[in-house]
Amino acid sequence: MSTPAPTADLSARFGLTAGRRRKDKFARGVILAATILALVPLVLIIYYLLKKGLGAWSSSFFTTDPTGNTFFKNSDIGGIKSAILGTIEMVALASLISIPIGVGVALWLVEYGRNSWFARVVRFFVDVLTGVPSIVFGLFIYIVLIIGTGSSFAGYKGSLALSLLMLPVVIRSAEVILNLVPAGLRESALALGAPRWKVIMKIVLPTALPGMVTGVLLAVARAAGETAPLLFTAGSPKTTTYNLSEFMNSLPVQIYNDVNSPSTEVVNRAWGAALTLVTMILILNLIARLISRRSRLA
Amino acid sequence: MSPASSASDGGGQPRGLSAEAFDRLDPAATAEGGHGRSHFQEQLRELEFHALGGLDLIVEQLDRVLEALNHQDVELAQMVIADDDRVDGRYLEVHQGILSLLALQAPVAGDLRLVAALLHIIKHIERMGDQCVNIAKMIPLSGYEPPVHGEMLEALAKMGAFARSEVVQCKAAFAGRDVALAEDLVRQDREINRLNRDIFRLAIEIGDDPDTREWAMHMTLVARALERIGDNAVDVGEQVAFVVTGLFREFSDSSRPLGASQ
Amino acid sequence: MTSTGRTEEVTDVDPDRSSELERSEPEVAGGRPEGFAGRQRLTPESTEQPPAPRPGIVKAGFSVKLEQLRAFYGDAEQVKGVDLEFRANEVTAIIGPSGCGKSTMVRCINRMHEEIPGAHAEGRVLLEGMDIYGSSVDVVAVRRAVGMVFQKPNPFPTMSIYDNVASGLRLTGRRGKDLDARVESALRGAGLWNEVSDRLTDAGAGLSGGQQQRLCIARSLAVDPEVILMDEPCSALDPVATLKIEELIEELKQRVTIVIVTHNMQQAARVADRTAFMLDGQMVEVGPTHEIFTKPKDSRTEEYVTGKFG
Repeated sequence: MSTPAPTADLSARFGLTAGRRRKDKFARGVILAATILALVPLVLIIYYLLKKGLGAWSSSFFTTDPTGNTFFKNSDIGGIKSAILGTIEMVALASLISIPIGVGVALWLVEYGRNSWFARVVRFFVDVLTGVPSIVFGLFIYIVLIIGTGSSFAGYKGSLALSLLMLPVVIRSAEVILNLVPAGLRESALALGAPRWKVIMKIVLPTALPGMVTGVLLAVARAAGETAPLLFTAGSPKTTTYNLSEFMNSLPVQIYNDVNSPSTEVVNRAWGAALTLVTMILILNLIARLISRRSRLA
Repeated sequence: MSPASSASDGGGQPRGLSAEAFDRLDPAATAEGGHGRSHFQEQLRELEFHALGGLDLIVEQLDRVLEALNHQDVELAQMVIADDDRVDGRYLEVHQGILSLLALQAPVAGDLRLVAALLHIIKHIERMGDQCVNIAKMIPLSGYEPPVHGEMLEALAKMGAFARSEVVQCKAAFAGRDVALAEDLVRQDREINRLNRDIFRLAIEIGDDPDTREWAMHMTLVARALERIGDNAVDVGEQVAFVVTGLFREFSDSSRPLGASQ
Repeated sequence: MTSTGRTEEVTDVDPDRSSELERSEPEVAGGRPEGFAGRQRLTPESTEQPPAPRPGIVKAGFSVKLEQLRAFYGDAEQVKGVDLEFRANEVTAIIGPSGCGKSTMVRCINRMHEEIPGAHAEGRVLLEGMDIYGSSVDVVAVRRAVGMVFQKPNPFPTMSIYDNVASGLRLTGRRGKDLDARVESALRGAGLWNEVSDRLTDAGAGLSGGQQQRLCIARSLAVDPEVILMDEPCSALDPVATLKIEELIEELKQRVTIVIVTHNMQQAARVADRTAFMLDGQMVEVGPTHEIFTKPKDSRTEEYVTGKFG
């Protein structure tokens, strides 16, 4: 039973006009279309990744190094073990460098620097750095640490380039989150008689943690996927190595090298590697959410 | 409680009340400046106006009963008795207004003192009304013969005049928040008390005629009622001092030895 | 700022002081040169016997005395030379129109005012005779003795009820095996124990507004302060919660001195032993609450209290 319509003169004022209905439908339609439009490439990417990449996955795919025998048919091309391990090692080191420094800078900006002229200068340069193309970081490390010192490529030099890439992202997102921590929390903690550093360590950081994890994740994902900085710093060897001062393979570089090969098998391997990279980021994401959820509880 | 209802009592300004004080009382007069709580302030002014209007009623009653006394007018006396309902009605209205104001507006400081004072004052007004009734009740009892003792009547007339003057003055003192004027009431009250004692003495020495003696006894009761009216007026004056200073003290009156104040 | 360790002459009732200010009892302002040492109770170097504590006092709170306190935001002077005394184990309310500087003044008592960039204070604030603005005084120790409850209840969101109450102790580096006992005592002191004793591990932010505010009070109590400052503690609460907290204040004054800033005059009337009226950064009048609300001495107080402005 529908509700009775409002009385005559009220319905003129409160009634829903046909024009209003049409406008509403139109707006909804437009927004829905935009959403679908945005989702389409995403879905397509996932579809292609799965379709082309899954085929390349096998146990040997993950456990053998690429062999470099890409010319002859039926020769064993190997897997991508060194690339996976290389990415993990280099990104780990880069994170180890950039996350503490980045969070530290963000803390200083929010808690101590605030609006001083120096803090404003720092923020400006951080903003500039977020826009610098990733190849520039690679070149920088190349010129300074490889040409400049006359030494060779190395995994840790790749990490340094990546950490330079990650740093501004970490700083910006950490700063945003730290600013969101309500001033009242800091005030209460200070008023209890806690020294400032303890307020930061025990109250501000734990409260900001879930948000910061998301921001840091973005930086890590970006670093894991960048090819250009690694091209001139870490190189693209075939073998797995755990020594960061040697040449080190990585997934983006591996993909870059494989994609242009005439051999379809090798191209498929590139797809497999791409799928692997995306999956790794996904797993990292899940782990990070689990961690941040645990830290929210008592 | 609208100002219209107060228009019915003793029209025109009571003697002794300055124009400014009267204006301040009249709720129709505009408030100065943009003060907060203007609705509450207006209600408070209305309440005070209404309460003090009761004193005008008393003056009216007093005038009539004194005239009735002079001319042995029993019908006028009956009117006075009947009209006491108006005084009682005024008491109930003001009382209700006070309760309402206390509950709804939570007055503090000067406003609170004013409300507390009004509560006392309206009680004194009601008593004064009752005393007028007491006087009126004496009149039929004193018989239909013309009054016999000139001196006594003169004294009573003087007492009446003083009582009337005290009622008018206590209203002026409150409306104008004039503590000096309030304290001056004591002077007039002393006169009333002196006259009361004189009347009493005259009554004792009035002679042996039983009718005259009976009349004289009734007149002493009248004198006592007038004296009580004067006391109530002084009590109103004490409320003036309370509102202004926040301290309550008894003005020295003749019931205490001179100089033993506070 | 004056340095500690300088003894002043005993000043009896100063005839030059405005009659509107409360006449202070003769007092000697002395100080310890070595600064405020945490939990130690100070005895003022005075020739007078301190007054015997009233019956019903569980723990002696500190008296607080402001001497010519001035507070600035940059160059703007918000508190303009205030002299005021808060008696031990009493509740003193500060009333006044918004922007008159009452919150600023109160934040000088636990030195939170200077946490705002560009803000500073001058003058003296004496806790039991010791100037907390002395050069050798540890700010952190002052804040442990002078707790604060804010307008908006703000329990730490990442912590449970238990951890919230214990946070004060943990943050100030005082652990101990009796943490459970202290948490319980603080929760009882805040009138919250019966409601939460069975869910101490639940999130602190999951309580109702009134309960959250009492949790914040418990958090302050756990540190065992001698003074608690309350900055409009009930503004964000419903009337029932407000009343509960007002009753709590009545009990708390047996353990601490309480200073409460409120824009609700009825609350000041209900809760405070003494009330101070502030206007434009200056103290206009201070006195017993019932006097301020029945016969205030200053006409400005009368006007404010009867609602003619503000």
